[in-house]
Amino acid sequence: MTPLSTRFKQALTGTLTLLYSIVPMLLAVIGLVGLFQTTVTPQMLHSLFSGVPLLDTLIATLVGGVSVGQPFFSYIIGGELLKEGISLYAVTAFILAWVTLGVVQLPLEWAIFGSRFTIVRNLLSFIFALLIAWATVATLSTLS
Amino acid sequence: MSTKQSSKPKNRSGWIMLAITLFLYGVTAFFDASITRSALNKSLDTLKMITPILLVVFFLLALMNTFIKPKSIVKYLGKESGLKGWLFALVGGVLSHGSSYVWYPMLNELRNHGARDGLIVAFFYARAIKLPWLPVMVGYFGIAFTLVFSFYILLGAWMQGVIADNIAAKNRASF
Repeated sequence: MTPLSTRFKQALTGTLTLLYSIVPMLLAVIGLVGLFQTTVTPQMLHSLFSGVPLLDTLIATLVGGVSVGQPFFSYIIGGELLKEGISLYAVTAFILAWVTLGVVQLPLEWAIFGSRFTIVRNLLSFIFALLIAWATVATLSTLS
Repeated sequence: MSTKQSSKPKNRSGWIMLAITLFLYGVTAFFDASITRSALNKSLDTLKMITPILLVVFFLLALMNTFIKPKSIVKYLGKESGLKGWLFALVGGVLSHGSSYVWYPMLNELRNHGARDGLIVAFFYARAIKLPWLPVMVGYFGIAFTLVFSFYILLGAWMQGVIADNIAAKNRASF
């Protein structure tokens, strides 16, 4: 049996090779995140909503899906949207899509997990953002 | 989803993406250099934030490849993992920190060693519950919203995992 230290060294070499191979894509994703955060303002996101709950929920999921940043940004923007009369359905879908969908990191996910996994996972995340938004608001309405 | 991919992404796609990103920075700099500077600063902040987590993840990956045998991964996260597998995926997802892409290599390694696609999908979705940010969510939307929302995220994560497993099984059957 191979000694533990040799096995660890081999494993470390393997992970470093893996790290090296994903560095270009990782840097590209990080670069896009910075560019997105600078050029797309919360006001721009605001202006995309129409006031029609069903349409807004769909728009919110798409906007949340392409947005990047710390989750609390989505809470702040979501809170502001709510104050301005955008439905809770849309705000819930927006918050959820912000953290579960990742259009910017899609190329990295695709490169690592493969096309089929990436498509299925993102499609499910999109559908469930709509379903969970509906279920959350419906449950809250029932409870109150 | 049944076809397991190599843990190494195709190098060329990474370089192409990086070239596109640099081109976009170049275009932005041409119109307004201050935007480029600000974007670069934000990217550097992100890089500083994820580097320690990334190093920890890669160290864990090395430890995992040294000590954990594929048989154990199959036992805890494979076809027969049952409730234990779901618990690992959901709790792991909720507790995991950092950007989701930091976890891609480790999760793909688990997948290559026999972890189910459904558990990986559930892990990713459970990450929507951000424990450190829950007080902020409560502040904005109230405790009832936060509890109901978190419950549905966990339920949704499990349901998506089940669906992903079914799709993977169907794909395997069709080969």
